[in-house]
Amino acid sequence: MLNLSLLTPALALAGLALLILLADMLLPRGRERWLAHLAWISCAGVLCLLVRGLGDPAALGRGTLWTVDPFSQFFQTATVLAAMLCLLLSLDYRDLPRRQAGSFSALMLLSVSGLMLLTAAHDLLLIFISLELVSLSSFILAGFERSHPKSNEGAMKYFLFGAFASAVMVYGISLYYGAAGTTRLDAGAPPDPLLILSLLLILLGFGFKASLAPMHFWVPDAYEGAPTPVTAFLSIAPKIATFALLLRVYGAFFPAGRYGLQALLGLLAALTMTIGNFTAFFQNDVKRLLAYSSIAQAGYLMIGLAVGTPLGLQGAMFYSFVYAAMNVGCFAVVQAVGREGGYGLDAFNGLAKRSLGLSLAMAFCLLSLAGIPPLAGFIGKLYIFAAAVESGQYALAVIGVLNSVASVYYYFRIAQRMFLREAKGEPAALAVGPYVYGSLAAAVAGVLLLGVHPEPLIAGVRASARLLP
Amino acid sequence: MLSLITWAPLAGALIVLMLPKEKERAIQAVSFAAAGVSLLASIALLAPFDGGSAAMQFVERCAWIPSLNIQYFLGVDGLSLPLVLLTTLMSFIALIGSLGIKTRLKEYFFWFLLLEVGMLGVFCALDLVLFYVFWELTLVPMYFLIGIWGGPRKEFAAIKFFLYTLSGSVFMLLAILALYFRAVPHTFDILELMRAQAGWDPRFQSLVFLGLYFGVAIKIPAFPFHTWLPLAHVEAPTPISVILAAVLLKMGVYGLLRLCYQIVPAGFRWFLPALVLIAVVNIVYGALCAMAQTDMKKMVAYSSVNHMGYCLLGIAGMSAAGFAGAVLQMINHGVITGALFLLVGVIYDRAHTRDLSAFGGLALKLPVYAGLMMLASFASLGLPGLSGFVGEFLCFLGAFPSWKWQTVISVLGVIATAAFFLRMIQKVFLGALNEKWAGLQDMTTRELVSVLPLAALMIWFGVYPKWPLDLMNATLARMLGQ
Repeated sequence: MLNLSLLTPALALAGLALLILLADMLLPRGRERWLAHLAWISCAGVLCLLVRGLGDPAALGRGTLWTVDPFSQFFQTATVLAAMLCLLLSLDYRDLPRRQAGSFSALMLLSVSGLMLLTAAHDLLLIFISLELVSLSSFILAGFERSHPKSNEGAMKYFLFGAFASAVMVYGISLYYGAAGTTRLDAGAPPDPLLILSLLLILLGFGFKASLAPMHFWVPDAYEGAPTPVTAFLSIAPKIATFALLLRVYGAFFPAGRYGLQALLGLLAALTMTIGNFTAFFQNDVKRLLAYSSIAQAGYLMIGLAVGTPLGLQGAMFYSFVYAAMNVGCFAVVQAVGREGGYGLDAFNGLAKRSLGLSLAMAFCLLSLAGIPPLAGFIGKLYIFAAAVESGQYALAVIGVLNSVASVYYYFRIAQRMFLREAKGEPAALAVGPYVYGSLAAAVAGVLLLGVHPEPLIAGVRASARLLP
Repeated sequence: MLSLITWAPLAGALIVLMLPKEKERAIQAVSFAAAGVSLLASIALLAPFDGGSAAMQFVERCAWIPSLNIQYFLGVDGLSLPLVLLTTLMSFIALIGSLGIKTRLKEYFFWFLLLEVGMLGVFCALDLVLFYVFWELTLVPMYFLIGIWGGPRKEFAAIKFFLYTLSGSVFMLLAILALYFRAVPHTFDILELMRAQAGWDPRFQSLVFLGLYFGVAIKIPAFPFHTWLPLAHVEAPTPISVILAAVLLKMGVYGLLRLCYQIVPAGFRWFLPALVLIAVVNIVYGALCAMAQTDMKKMVAYSSVNHMGYCLLGIAGMSAAGFAGAVLQMINHGVITGALFLLVGVIYDRAHTRDLSAFGGLALKLPVYAGLMMLASFASLGLPGLSGFVGEFLCFLGAFPSWKWQTVISVLGVIATAAFFLRMIQKVFLGALNEKWAGLQDMTTRELVSVLPLAALMIWFGVYPKWPLDLMNATLARMLGQ
């Protein structure tokens, strides 16, 4: 059964991306920003399409290479939402070449549509193709500030690492084909050594995208060099979509417990959290600091996968959603501050005096990342740690909470500069673009509301934590 | 009613946030109004409160996150009501003390009111997640209050306080989760858990106890987790030191009684011998440390370690007198140490030093100040007739039947307590007047207004402790299973 109609939202987005590329050639000079707006509207339209299909039996089902279930719908919605917020940021980002606004937004859309396919794929072929679609567009996006050496360096590293990870993954896929005789993941192959080896190699490839340690080395450089809206995008959308994939493959198709991978997943979670947090201590560039923070955050998500229970799955889903909100919020402020002062931590000195609202928003997002109640990040962590405690994985829970404590230290290095230090010279008011404000307001509202009133999202997660076989 | 008490400061905080920062008078007025509403409402609770009943009163309950069975569940009994009153009163008094704050008023009052919400919530919450949310809610405002308006080492003190306390509370969180999954059906309801604990094996109870204890011990602070306290107390601005000593430490003792003792009693009993030792060390070691200080504020800070030791000793006695003594000692310590910090702030504002040996003969120049300071010191060291004595005496009385020699050592510790306070009085107020301070002014009206109510309470509770004791007796008797 082909059932191509199941993929309508993703394909529509890809089509719109191509349309924007085409329009970019025809549109007269100076009108390129129209295309950026058009891209945002396209995303909004696709979002409407997705939301209308939520839980609709007609929108669910299996195709040849894909499965659209409530689970994939949840992650598609989250990804598109995150992408919309990042596109908003890009509308106010000054260092983006104006002339290329069209191709920039088209690449974003292509990447999002790849991610949407990824969350629904149940066949390694589709997984590989959509991962490459995401990767290729992200490589270009990361290097979009061509005149900026760091951007070039980051993009190059990202590309080399990515190519390497892809190669390893393709090798894994070929082994999988040898072991299972098909590229379908639902073949129910028995756990023989060849299959497990192939699963490990595939995990390496996925781990690269999800920035799990020890496949995380590209992250700080790529994040530091990429234009800030792209950094925000890279730190969220590919990560949560890859987690959807990880949850599907290592949670549903090849339950880690049955294939003897549980200890490895737990180890990866612990390693990712710890390396991310403890390396973040020493960063003096906000983007690098947040890059390491995002690695650590992937570690918390990984706990949900390593636990492998329904509660763990729900926890990871909930946390991915709120993670998107808090990270967008942080990067929105970073972009607003970095526009004048650069991305050193010193740029945040005395921010509270320049703009109390912006500082409080940043503080809320950072506190949420650290898991301090009553913010959304706390409920997410509560969910994930609860899953670990429920399944008796106390070691993982203890490592998780200790990491949360450690992370407070570096998140507060930013808060400390904003509130406790004085800015050099007379504190000048900060000019913040309207689009950044919009994006920030949405993110902070999410962080606060989902912390104080998380019930709707929890109910949504519970209804969506249903994977079709 | 409890919601009104808890959330009124939050409403105030949000209004403060919306006011332009130049309108300093308006900001102060809104803060006073918000804290005043809480104070009046909590006093109004006294009339309908039934001191003869051990049940939770003024209960408010509704679902908060039904999927995880988390409730919005508030209520007070004889244990928490006195602490709620203490919190609203001390917050109001600390607000009066905060009128001396001159920089960044808007942020100050915003964080201050947020802090009050957290403190009140801790004492009212009867759902563990809600409790934990409030418990942590106190950390962030405290970080900023110490970090922005504190003394020379404020940045270090603030982050040390935050990380230290947080590392304790995360283990509390894990213990809470373990409780949740052990209870059938899964619940965070404190009252349900108290009923459910009978069937749990002692090993589980001991583990959960350790998790909870780690969280509360840091707050109390119980030896050896007290090292954050001197730094935070000394670096914090005066009103915040008052809040730290008067209310935040009480959260720890309250947690010990409410969570550790009532939810995992078997674990509590298992730990009891260690708890007594910790109490003795707190008393003796705290007093000796206080004696070694030359900084008045640091001395008062260490005296808190010493006084929390009395509370722990009373609790470890597991008797009606001991519990009553511990709760009364919490209230007394809040009032007395709050006053002491305010008074130390008074002299620091004038002399810009807190060094004991820098003064001398001040009683001549500042008679009112000297009188109040001596009153508070005598109350703190346990002079009969003042409130400190009643609490300490009950603690010893309650502990003696079970822990003979430990109590004896602790009583000897009282001598050290007396010694450092008397030494302070002698050095600062008696002897020849140091001419350098001849120009000092006595206390202003604002300072008197903030200290006098506390002085009145010290005398009242010292002469007639029946009233506060009547509030709590029924609850404490039920906690002991009588």
